Amino acid sequence: AMAVLRSLGSFLCLWALRLPAGTGAAARGLDVASYRERVRAMFYHAYEHYLESAFPYDELRPLTCDGQDTWGSFSLTLIDALDTLLILGNVSEFQRVVSVLQEGVDFDIDVNASVFETNIRVVGGLLSAHLLSKKAGVEVEVGWPCSGPLLRMAEEAARKLLPAFQTPTGMPYGTVNLLHGVNPGETPVTCTAGIGTFIVEFATLSHLTGDPVFEDVARKALKALWKNRSDIGLVGNHIDVITAKWVAQDAGIGAGVDSYFEYLVKGAILLQDKELMSMFLEYNKAIKNYTKFDDWYLWVQMYKGTVSMPVFQSLEAYWPGLQSLIGDVDNAMRTFLNYYTVWKQFGGLPEFYNIPQGYTVDKREGYPLRPELIESAMYLYRATRDPTLLELGRDAVESIEKISKVDCGFATIKDLRDHRLDNRMESFFLAETVKYLYLLFDPDNFIHNDGSVFDVVITPHGECVLNAGGYVFNTEAHPIDPAALHCCRKRKEEQWEVEDLMQEFYSLKKNKKFILKRASDNGEGESAKDPEDASSEKGEEKRNSKKRSHSLLSCPSQSFNSKLAVLGQVFLDNT
Amino acid sequence: SCSRAKDVTMPAKLPVNFFSTRSPVIDLFRGQLDYADHLRQDSEIVLYFFYAPWCGQSIAAREEIEHVASRLSDQVLFVAVNCWWNQGKCRKQKHFFYFPVIHLYHQSFGPIEYKGPMSAVYIEKFVRRVMTPLLYISSRSKLLDFLSNYEPGVLGYFEFNASPQPPGYLTFFTSALHSLKKDYLGTIRFGVITDKHVAEEISLVHSGSVYLHRHVNTSLIYPNDIMNYTAENICKWALENREMLIRWLRPHGGKSLLLNNELKKGPALLIFIPYNPLAEIHPLLDEITKVALEYHNCNKSQAAEPDPQHLGDTDSPAFDSSVLDARMKLSETFSITKYPCCNTVVLPQWHSISRTHNVCELCINQTLGVKPNKVHVPHCNFLEIEAALDSFYLQEHTFFQVISNTIECSNFLSFYSPFSYYTACCRTVNRNFLSFISSEKTIFQTPKVAFSSHGKKDNTRHSIPHIEDRNCFIPDLHISGANITGLSCRTNKTLNLYLLDSNLFWIYAERLGASRSTHLKEFAAIVDLKEEVHYVLDQNQSLVGSTLENFIKNFSILYSPLKRHLVDDSSVHFHEQRVITEVTTNTFHDTVFLSEKNVLLLYYAQWCGFCASLNHIFIQLARLLPPDNFIVARIDITRNDLPWEFMTDRLPTILFFPHQRKEQSVKFPEDFSVNLPNLLKFILHHSSLSSSEPCTKECLHKETVLQQGHISHLEREVQKLRSEISALHQAHDQLEAQLSEARREEHRLQQQKHTLEKQHKTLQLHSEQLQATYDQKNQELLEMAEKLQELADASENLLKENTLLRILVASREGKLQSKDEIKEALQSEQILSEDNDVSVSTTTATLEEKRTDNIDTIETEHSGGNRTE
Repeated sequence: AMAVLRSLGSFLCLWALRLPAGTGAAARGLDVASYRERVRAMFYHAYEHYLESAFPYDELRPLTCDGQDTWGSFSLTLIDALDTLLILGNVSEFQRVVSVLQEGVDFDIDVNASVFETNIRVVGGLLSAHLLSKKAGVEVEVGWPCSGPLLRMAEEAARKLLPAFQTPTGMPYGTVNLLHGVNPGETPVTCTAGIGTFIVEFATLSHLTGDPVFEDVARKALKALWKNRSDIGLVGNHIDVITAKWVAQDAGIGAGVDSYFEYLVKGAILLQDKELMSMFLEYNKAIKNYTKFDDWYLWVQMYKGTVSMPVFQSLEAYWPGLQSLIGDVDNAMRTFLNYYTVWKQFGGLPEFYNIPQGYTVDKREGYPLRPELIESAMYLYRATRDPTLLELGRDAVESIEKISKVDCGFATIKDLRDHRLDNRMESFFLAETVKYLYLLFDPDNFIHNDGSVFDVVITPHGECVLNAGGYVFNTEAHPIDPAALHCCRKRKEEQWEVEDLMQEFYSLKKNKKFILKRASDNGEGESAKDPEDASSEKGEEKRNSKKRSHSLLSCPSQSFNSKLAVLGQVFLDNT
Repeated sequence: SCSRAKDVTMPAKLPVNFFSTRSPVIDLFRGQLDYADHLRQDSEIVLYFFYAPWCGQSIAAREEIEHVASRLSDQVLFVAVNCWWNQGKCRKQKHFFYFPVIHLYHQSFGPIEYKGPMSAVYIEKFVRRVMTPLLYISSRSKLLDFLSNYEPGVLGYFEFNASPQPPGYLTFFTSALHSLKKDYLGTIRFGVITDKHVAEEISLVHSGSVYLHRHVNTSLIYPNDIMNYTAENICKWALENREMLIRWLRPHGGKSLLLNNELKKGPALLIFIPYNPLAEIHPLLDEITKVALEYHNCNKSQAAEPDPQHLGDTDSPAFDSSVLDARMKLSETFSITKYPCCNTVVLPQWHSISRTHNVCELCINQTLGVKPNKVHVPHCNFLEIEAALDSFYLQEHTFFQVISNTIECSNFLSFYSPFSYYTACCRTVNRNFLSFISSEKTIFQTPKVAFSSHGKKDNTRHSIPHIEDRNCFIPDLHISGANITGLSCRTNKTLNLYLLDSNLFWIYAERLGASRSTHLKEFAAIVDLKEEVHYVLDQNQSLVGSTLENFIKNFSILYSPLKRHLVDDSSVHFHEQRVITEVTTNTFHDTVFLSEKNVLLLYYAQWCGFCASLNHIFIQLARLLPPDNFIVARIDITRNDLPWEFMTDRLPTILFFPHQRKEQSVKFPEDFSVNLPNLLKFILHHSSLSSSEPCTKECLHKETVLQQGHISHLEREVQKLRSEISALHQAHDQLEAQLSEARREEHRLQQQKHTLEKQHKTLQLHSEQLQATYDQKNQELLEMAEKLQELADASENLLKENTLLRILVASREGKLQSKDEIKEALQSEQILSEDNDVSVSTTTATLEEKRTDNIDTIETEHSGGNRTE
């Protein structure tokens, strides 16, 4: 293993030399507006051909100009593309599609569906459409955002998935029959991401509908994975949900695992949940220790930590974006720049890229127009405003238009070596790839709202502040408004408490002492015990003894040299 | 067909022209590398542009290459090769990790890869260097020019006598090409001297000797005796020994540690100037180089007597005191925020006759006009600068009036493009800076400027007062008495000096706080990575030698008067709806300390997920708190620097500054969750509202104000509750409607159920009837069968009788052989019995068919009944 590592090390060093030349035109700025319009045109080219030739099937087949069902039979591309329509500003089409979906989609069907895909695409898509529907001018019910037809559809779809979670470990099966539940004889082997990618949608559902069952099963599954991590703190690729034995023991950040880590962070942000964040930070340490080599992340054996595959996967490109959300911008940018060199070599990211050989891996040469690298570019552009990130956007637009555009849409690139095309256009192309590209080129989009504008909505549960920014994207790029979660579940006690406190602001003499409530570990203070019996001094002591160096739910502020860390310049830590 | 469609694939589209057919660039879009190689014989200089058609960078560079080609096509062959198409030779033979790749050949020498900026001017400059790697130094004045350049220079002396080429010349030539391979920025210039007397000026006597010129340190002669005289060695020797007084930084755009490595060496002075590599003279650059030279000139400072003639600089450099005012005036009058592209222009008519240069900075400004929507246009386009220059020179006469003792800017319409405006800002620079040299071995006199009685001269002299005390530029800054000469050796805060082209790298200047409102893209900053501070040269001062000198001096002295620069986000825009006050570096003190209110300040960053998800809580808080006493504010800490004591290392951080005790700010404890009740408690705990002073009139007044506030708050609350109630009413109505709808539905369903039940009953009846008929039919069938049986028995009897009869016949045959009539009668009877047999079997078949038909209908009717139920 040492020999492997050493030789690998020398290869990795070589990488620094393979650097592309020329800032040139890019350093002087792109015409962002014109690229934004090209992305918009891309969207409509694909969307209109889907409606014309493929609807109501799940996906468009761009080479044969027809449709096919892939992940079920729910007009998947339409559900997935719905919120992209709003982000592009097409309110009328959004409204039309909402009514089409309300009438046309039926989940009472005898179909074996992937629990994971149905959750992220269907439940996630419907939830975000539900939360955005008021903004899109759809006439909403009085109880909105805590009730509504799209929310009911999302709930119905999610309930169809619940039987999969009935296992001894709480980890779900990978496939469920929407009509009959888990099929007898269904395989108990599920990939890690298929277990740990529910908290964003399911917690949102629970908060909006008031039924805790969704959040409960999602948390239980997350905890089961956490319990089964290896001694060195890594998780494998596939696990038996009955026996909790790891079936595939490759540990990495890509395929099969990716969105598990993503949802730990996004769950922590959405729910202000320290427990989820502390899990992620532990994983992050192990990932850095065992899988990271010179800004690349490799695959290792989960128990021993030895390198099993020196490979970069297209799916791993979400990682820099995730890092930027928690403030690790420097590392994110360095890894991003590595990944960008692969794009420059092929005009896309191959599913697998052998790092030491500097070439694609056999049978994994395809690029199904995945969004991950563009997603990271969008997040990083928010953080750094580095024109290099717009350059990636430019390259993506040029590549996709030149290589994969056909008369009926955009086709998956079957082989990046010769740019042969495949007869498929995945629904994430319109849900994610186009959306992130557009957002990269549209810095004033409402999705980037930094809290300077917001909506006030009166609901039967009280007044809510909504659409104040901070949208959390699920792993299929469906944005969730974190304020909405707070809106529906806001307890009456909190309202009365706030009212009581407000009284104090208008009296000259303070009647009570005010002591802060300690947050329970689960985030939003489930155990609302009265802390006032403890004296303030005691509280102070406790606080000090328990005190961490910093809160888990925070980002480090950026270092001085980040001012100059643009146009490819990276800085080494002084440590 | 379905499964076949799944396997449908499509090969990549066939390659098409990348360059237009009218382009001077030969486009081998099928990747014909063999043909490309063949073409190399046609031209001394060849440029290969290896591209991939899908590559954004190739597309962006295409226009630049095309422009260079249009200017050099008579001397250089431009060949573009599609090195992506997998059927092409190029793809099969070459393995590139990125596109485009530019290779240059000088005859058989090559490839020389160009790795500089993808900008036409830089590419053209490089191509020209490849074309003439050696400068021909024919005279003393040319030598002077060569040596005065800020970039290191290597000179070779070769006597061209009878033989076509003196020994070593070819090696020297090749080493010049080699240096371009190694050092793609072309910082080392190579020159060749053929005249013996000129060579003597730099103490070169023997033909074949090579000389490396250095400004500060002793110049060197290539040690033939120690190192082999090869092209590689000469190049290596020059690279190793060259003097880097001031360095260009040109990040290539890929991942790089360039700035990291340079800035870790110590504090650095970064100077941003617009630079056109093709321009023949760079007055501003020369001025900066002079400062750099002085700064590093340690030997010189020790020398007691500076040679007055040495630099030809007996006059002190002359500048205009009004420059400063003029600039400030200008920044007020012109609010043009950003120029994408600028270039320094020297007015040609002037430099031949005057001691001053009239230097203009020319900026393309499209923001003033309407711009047609083009797709691939990079912002700083060579064509546009060119066009601007032409327009500028055409309108030059207007600038004769402009040239005066101030910097003045004017906008003028482009001659060529109605969509573009240009802005030119002109000032004067002393000509002496252009001609200084400082080789220790050479003493030249600056050519005396002959002031002829040229008509324009007097005007100019009149309007440009030259001699000024340079110190009066910067009245507000402390200036150390120390001379800058050799300062780098005398201070322990030595600066490394760097140049950046602001046409390419202005973004770094912006990051360091270059004001967006200035119209000149000039900027200087000292960056100290270790101390995490940077200082900025006051942008109201023009970037000239003297201001730079003072900047350096102020940095070097013990108690530096320079203040850490705090970058401020000036792009903050204010929304009407804003309830949270957005604080910037500039407004921080006023908002937080000078306001007579309690201030809750949130430190945040837009990219930090934990901050953004709290937006709604702070908005709610700001809407709740009485605005007369509280400000809820926030500051984006990645875009706004604050004094050290107010910096924070984690985000979000919440600070509370109580009114009247602003210095005693408190931090919201990090281990408490950020929600509305907690924030309110935190504020209540620390706010200074509770004053236990005896109640005076003032206090009473306060009380009433407070109560009024409370009343309005309660009114708002009541309003809110009212709307909540109305929402509840609506919801109630909605529910009621839904309920009655449901009831109606239930009723309808009930009715439906009844009818269905009825139908069910009738169906049942029907089915009973059918059952009965079925039984009946069955009975009938049985009877039939019996009858059949009987018939069969009868026929059997008949058969038996028949056989009996046959036997009888047989027995009687012998006896009654003669009786034919009886025999005939017997035969007819036999035929009759056979006919009977056939008809029986057909009836059985039809009966069976009928039976199955009956069962079928019963079954279908049954299932139909079930479905409707």
